[in-house]
Amino acid sequence: MSYRLQRMPVAAPSVLFSARVLSVILALLTAAAVLALSGKDPIALGGKVLSSTFGSRFGLEDLGLLFSPLLYCGLAVAVGLRIGAWNIGAEGQFNLGAFAATGVALFVPGPAWLLVPLMALAGMAGGALWILIPTLAKAYADVSELITTLLMNFVALLLVYWVATGPWLDPSGMALATTARLSVSVPYVWGIVHWGLPLALMLAVGLAVMFAYTRWGYEVRIGGANPGAAAYAGMPVQRHLILVMLMSGAIAGLGGMMEVAGTVGRLQGGISNNYGYLGIMVAVLARAAPLGVIATAFFMAVILNGGIVLQSQGLTTHTVLAITGLILFYAAIVDEVARYKLIPTTGEVTPKGAR
Amino acid sequence: MDILAGLIQTAFLAGGVLALAALGEVLAERVGVVNLGVEGLIALGAMSAVATVVITPHPWLGFLVAMGVGLIAGMIFAVATVIIRANQVLCGLALTYMGMGLAATLGKPISGSPAPATFQDIHIPILSDLPFFGRAFFSHSLLVYLIFLVLPVALHVLIFHTRHGLNMRAVGENPAAADAAGISVMKMRFWYVSLGSALAAGAGGYLTLVFVPSWSEGVVAGRGWIAVALVIFAGFRPINAVLAGLLFGFVTALGFVGQAHNWPIAASILSMLPYLGTMALMIVPVLAWQRMRRLMAAPDSLTVPYFRDQR
Repeated sequence: MSYRLQRMPVAAPSVLFSARVLSVILALLTAAAVLALSGKDPIALGGKVLSSTFGSRFGLEDLGLLFSPLLYCGLAVAVGLRIGAWNIGAEGQFNLGAFAATGVALFVPGPAWLLVPLMALAGMAGGALWILIPTLAKAYADVSELITTLLMNFVALLLVYWVATGPWLDPSGMALATTARLSVSVPYVWGIVHWGLPLALMLAVGLAVMFAYTRWGYEVRIGGANPGAAAYAGMPVQRHLILVMLMSGAIAGLGGMMEVAGTVGRLQGGISNNYGYLGIMVAVLARAAPLGVIATAFFMAVILNGGIVLQSQGLTTHTVLAITGLILFYAAIVDEVARYKLIPTTGEVTPKGAR
Repeated sequence: MDILAGLIQTAFLAGGVLALAALGEVLAERVGVVNLGVEGLIALGAMSAVATVVITPHPWLGFLVAMGVGLIAGMIFAVATVIIRANQVLCGLALTYMGMGLAATLGKPISGSPAPATFQDIHIPILSDLPFFGRAFFSHSLLVYLIFLVLPVALHVLIFHTRHGLNMRAVGENPAAADAAGISVMKMRFWYVSLGSALAAGAGGYLTLVFVPSWSEGVVAGRGWIAVALVIFAGFRPINAVLAGLLFGFVTALGFVGQAHNWPIAASILSMLPYLGTMALMIVPVLAWQRMRRLMAAPDSLTVPYFRDQR
């Protein structure tokens, strides 16, 4: 009996899950091989990363601080992917959220219980505003959101850098390139981990419920899978697209607000720390499922923390970006390969589509 | 007048990076593959060019090494997107991340220090001595003339006036028909994607050997993404792509001149101009030139992998 390969339109979910795991393992193995070739001991380095991340309470608290922004950015990208929109601009929306929240903290007087929610609203508005033009361009002029959202990142980074070194520079003269320390902050929930983390987890669950059980979520999913069919069925695809993309920006903006008001405490250039770009990987690995994002964001936080730990070993934080790219690369390949299935050929009837 | 001549000179200098990268992307997209890894390829090329001239002070060698590195990276990308036919957007993003991360990691020892050898401007008798025009158009290194004159014309002729070019375009527009006509879709896509990647990495070599003679992590600064956007704006045509690159070189030059002459605008705000300008160029033409849309349209099968048994 002989076999032949048949490409399936979609792969089975169980196969896809193992494909994802496989791509991560392959990427880590490749990274380990490169490290070994450059004369470092990958197993010892890996052990060091794990022990300094999970071995102490400080390590776990640091992990929590990385986990939170990755969750917001991962969710932001995932929400967009649900309707088929690539939000590559989470990085910029994150910055704008931080910028808007800082503006409220610096210039609006008021008690903390009022200011913090106000900052969160401002952060969400800032993020949504930053994706507004790409959204409208996609919805009404069919301009690829891939590039427009990305270009806005650079503008946002420059804007934050400019206000942090210019108009909003710390007047005390103590800091060179940051604003003054914000007068209010997001309350702590565990050590130095602030309420941004539990809120992000709740957001992930909320989104998962919305996508799975509401009419809106159903229409968004159909609109993403097959816009033509959705429009034919009378669903307002364009309205959903605009709303979902603005939501995506708002989530990233909220992440930025949490970062500046919870973790960093002041606005400075580069506050987004590539979280927006890593968020793309987080969302893709999770196949845009909000609950999956929790797992992949946690994994990414471990990798990112590992990168920080390994900085003392002569690696830069950019090494993490390279490893992220590697995971993404393998994930894309393995995804395609997973669609193929070995089918026994009987020899008599050639099934349709085979040659 | 002197300011204008300097502006034009800088426009060519700055625009060369975008023009060369955009030409590479034109090649890939004409055969139906979108390569979003340009940013990473420029980073790889920029770093390896400086690393080469640090070892041996020959700028041409540095440029060739950059292109070679791009060719290899492009072939890896092409194996994934053309042969395995994995998702092009994902692979492109992955290539960007890998390129930027790898360039930053490997280039750490040479980060920030000036390149020990760079391309020198060539002096053309009579022309270079002309008032105004001499400085604006004839005070450049050989690469600038290659990028703005030789390469776009050659590629234009190749794509639009040869049978091979017709085959190329057929592969991008309708691979099934091209396949039926006996053109190897896979071979065509594989080599033009790889070649396009080599040009993109070459743009990185140009960046660090001509324009900013030094490698650092932020030196690419989104130029790869601008180049991808310019290709769309240029209607996937090599000559338009180079002109668009020049236009953006001019926008970048405005920022420099503004800083040099102490215009009352912050440098960060001036640096936003190229990105905002690209946004405008992506959105405005779609709204304004409805009649041009067919002429400037993307290849029909762009981003669509070709499966022979599904045609």
